[in-house]
Amino acid sequence: MAARLRGRPAHAPGPTYLSYTPNGKKLITVGVNGALRVFQHGSDNEPAIIDVLTDGHTAVASTNDFIVVGAEDGSVTKYSLLTNSMEEILVRCSLPVRDVSLSKDGEWVAVASDELAVKVVNTRDMTRIMHLRDQSRPVKHVSFDVSGSTLAVSCTDGIVYMYSLSSEQPQLIKRVDGLIKTLETDAEANAKVAWHPDGRAFAAPTATRDFQCVARSDWQRQKAFSGGHRADISAAAWSPNGALLATAGVDKSLCIWETRSQRLLKSYDDVQNTILAIDWHPTDNVCSYTNNNGELFIREDFVPGEHAKHLRIALQPSPMNNDPLSEISGNARKQLSNGDKPNGVRRSAEDQYLDDLLGPDAMSEDEMDFIEDDDGAGYAEEMNHVGKRSAVTDAGRPAKRHAPFAAWKPQIHEAFQPGSTPWRGDRRYLCLNMTGFVWTVNQDTHHTVTVEFHDRQEHRDFHFTDPYKYDKASLNEKGTLFSCRPSTQTQQRAILYYRPHETWTTRTDWRTQLPAGEEVTSMSLSESCIVATTSKGYVRIYSLFGLPLKVYRQKSMPAVTCASWRDYVMTVGNGPVDGDGTTRMLYTVDNVRRDELCQSEDVVALREGTELRNIFFSDKGDPCIYDTEGVLLILLHWRTPGQAKWVPLLDTKTMDRLASGRKDETYWPVAVANNKFHCIILKGGDVYPHFPRPLLVDFDFKIPVSSFPAGGVEDEDKDVAQQRNLEEQYVRASLQHALASDLVDSTNSTSAQRAEVPVLERDVDKALLQLLAAECREGEERGMKALEIASLMRDRTGKMLEAAGKIAARFQRDILGEKITQLAERRLVGLVDEEDM
Amino acid sequence: MALPLPPGLTPSEVGFLCEMEHVTVIPRQTLDGLELLGGPTGALKPPFPTPLPLWLALLLKKQRRANITPPPWLSVDALTQILDFETDERTAELFSPSPNLPPATTTAPLEGDPYLAHDSLELSAPFLKDAATARAQADALPYHWLEIGHLLITHAPDDFEDLDAVRKLLRDLREVRMSKLRKGFEVLDAGGGVKMNGVGGMEIAEVRGFVGGVVDGLRKLNRSREESRKERETEERENGFGSSSYRDDEDEDML
Repeated sequence: MAARLRGRPAHAPGPTYLSYTPNGKKLITVGVNGALRVFQHGSDNEPAIIDVLTDGHTAVASTNDFIVVGAEDGSVTKYSLLTNSMEEILVRCSLPVRDVSLSKDGEWVAVASDELAVKVVNTRDMTRIMHLRDQSRPVKHVSFDVSGSTLAVSCTDGIVYMYSLSSEQPQLIKRVDGLIKTLETDAEANAKVAWHPDGRAFAAPTATRDFQCVARSDWQRQKAFSGGHRADISAAAWSPNGALLATAGVDKSLCIWETRSQRLLKSYDDVQNTILAIDWHPTDNVCSYTNNNGELFIREDFVPGEHAKHLRIALQPSPMNNDPLSEISGNARKQLSNGDKPNGVRRSAEDQYLDDLLGPDAMSEDEMDFIEDDDGAGYAEEMNHVGKRSAVTDAGRPAKRHAPFAAWKPQIHEAFQPGSTPWRGDRRYLCLNMTGFVWTVNQDTHHTVTVEFHDRQEHRDFHFTDPYKYDKASLNEKGTLFSCRPSTQTQQRAILYYRPHETWTTRTDWRTQLPAGEEVTSMSLSESCIVATTSKGYVRIYSLFGLPLKVYRQKSMPAVTCASWRDYVMTVGNGPVDGDGTTRMLYTVDNVRRDELCQSEDVVALREGTELRNIFFSDKGDPCIYDTEGVLLILLHWRTPGQAKWVPLLDTKTMDRLASGRKDETYWPVAVANNKFHCIILKGGDVYPHFPRPLLVDFDFKIPVSSFPAGGVEDEDKDVAQQRNLEEQYVRASLQHALASDLVDSTNSTSAQRAEVPVLERDVDKALLQLLAAECREGEERGMKALEIASLMRDRTGKMLEAAGKIAARFQRDILGEKITQLAERRLVGLVDEEDM
Repeated sequence: MALPLPPGLTPSEVGFLCEMEHVTVIPRQTLDGLELLGGPTGALKPPFPTPLPLWLALLLKKQRRANITPPPWLSVDALTQILDFETDERTAELFSPSPNLPPATTTAPLEGDPYLAHDSLELSAPFLKDAATARAQADALPYHWLEIGHLLITHAPDDFEDLDAVRKLLRDLREVRMSKLRKGFEVLDAGGGVKMNGVGGMEIAEVRGFVGGVVDGLRKLNRSREESRKERETEERENGFGSSSYRDDEDEDML
């Protein structure tokens, strides 16, 4: 290899830069002399030469069809690769251009020059130009992210400015301070931000000669590639799949790193001049670089043979400190048919094309939730033969061998633990409810778990070091339940750990191990039992003292989640496949003590395309779900088999506070208590609550009976709104009455609960009376409707009908009054019963 | 008579009165409901937010038994919006409007005139409910905005998300509105008036001394002119000329 290493004299001695076209067919170099060279990939022929008017070129960026070249005279010129000729001058700066960067679609080019402002020019219409003016000193480098919506600007004041270009008006979203070194604009050392191909992180050379990764979601520093260079880094490039990193230093060093472990794979010592630009070939094991002596090196077999497999694997995740590997899903099972989740071998051209069309949006949920197995613990490997896997043109695997595996697979709902959030930074909530919250901090070798209570008088907060790395927790008034995943390295099995808050003997906390190979997918703690659903499809029920009470196989598998309240256990699993290719979620409500099934394999009513966000029992013990569309539903009549139905309590999208359209917020459901919906407000597109812990907010229920404009209404609209309000009130009161009477009928209710039912019944009738009054006010012709309303009265004593008659008399609706009296009389003698109405 | 206090409420009295306002509290420990003179309070049960009088909330806050949720109008967004309204050219002369009044509760003997009913009790500015609880209107400053804002910022600083911004916005608002008030009184002359819709209690208490002085001074300065005018009028009346309409000079006493 050393024998072949001969620089190709591309340009006159001096700084030289290069760029591969995205299809990998051509390699363009620019240098100090007045010519550009276009090399054909895989051919040793003399390159094509584009003679140009400018010299002293300082930057080049390319698409398949054209290149953009910046020069020291301040011009940025577009050349066509089809005709190898100049097309137009895109922009002219008054000072030398230092860097250009093209967005992935080739639509925009960002230009850094010694001027203070960065210009972003449309490549097709040079009159469309954006100026980014927030930096105080000249800019050395610019770099578009993978989606082309964010631009990283490395300024000579040592700050990286992050601009969002997704709107017409560019916006500064973050100043990343203290990452890069302050450099002169013409220094050989480099401060260019290199976006990792997965788009979740970027990396830049630091003053300590490391290559530091920074997460894009929270701008926190992640892993670093350190110890490879003894001088400043002069160039760096991620391999196209992000699995490898090549860096070069001013000290004439050149290193290859493995992204996953940040290990130095190879360090080349045959570099003669400082490398100023590196670029990987998009598909082959070829890497090219240019130096400050006008030479171009095309290194074939750049990655040594034993590591070359890294180039053939699919897109790798960026090196984050806490990859959401142990997401709330517990990694029980990956989604089967999500072909765009990169696991297995690189995807086909069609997929990539689709991705290019759709593109990861700047702050899209999908990108934030990027789940990837990066520690090779075995989840991704298992997935390979079921996950989508299309052939690669150059990976040396025949396409048809894998074609059968690419068949359609149903999409299952992932398991989740209610009330927990994924890692963000090194923290996550394991449990968030009305008793308190449990959160854990990743300390690399162990976790530290903190349990805090809302009621500080009743319970004392506690904190412990957690060597097991618990990934699920459940908290209630009596105790805390934790579970951890089995670990392949230490032969550790999955553990359930219960810690009661108060005991009258010495500590009674206990641990129990699950059988080997079984892990907890979700669990729940109630006042009388502990429920865990496992990856083997079992539902395991323990007493609060660790006595296994029951084990049974769940009917619908794999399990999604579970919840419990006193002796009632609700388990949710993936059932048969629905029309849209996702499985239908089925739930079972079981009374563990009496061993009765309340509901068996009934449907969790979710609309197509929505997911379950949380599931919990209300403070009165009725199951509630909250979906990703923001609707809160409660299960009615669930104690009688076959009678259960989901009733919406609140549609958060239609709440008055969102009516103005100015607020962009979603809600993280926490609980239903005191006839209110308690939640955490999430702003700015967040999906999960973060630290510091936001305050709980409560909202009244509002059944989506009808929508009416809120605020600023005309007088007649006000009456209508009032009417709608009453109607909603009636439906809500009837629902609450039904829930309460169900509770009283089928449990050993307390006297307070029994006393509540007549009160709620009166509420229903009150709402009806008000509706009746409104109808009477409207006029004589609404008498029929008024009579119907009167006949809906629940009250059996006749008092309410008497009141209704009085209302009719007050508005002088005599006929109506007579009819109501008749109705009351017939009811008293029992002529009319429920069925007749 | 011998009481040396100036007429009207002093700022410290207004500050005291604002402590009757209810704020929303997130309790940190349980407490049964209290029977207070101002009415019973709800039982505290963490973490359910409960409205409590400000004075009690501050007491609990000092003992670290509760957190106070700042009312919605005390957020950065709301205050910025109100400040924009105050400084906008088109509305430069106005104060931002006070919160909406609740709908009338009593039915009217006359159609659409609930306030004429004898048994009606329609609440207005300082007695409005939920002026400073979590349910308060977000885009309007209630009557006691300055006092409540100040008290919450000093005694519950850790309950604000962006304390410095809120403090700065409150100060800006106060200065903008105060300068408007002052500007308004430049034109005060005999018979002049200033529209002060939406002004808060503390602001009135603050300008009372100044404005009272100015108006009194103006009256003294104008006394000779007034007297001569009255004399002239009586003379004219005595001389039997057409009587000029009597002008009520008591307008100045409106403060």
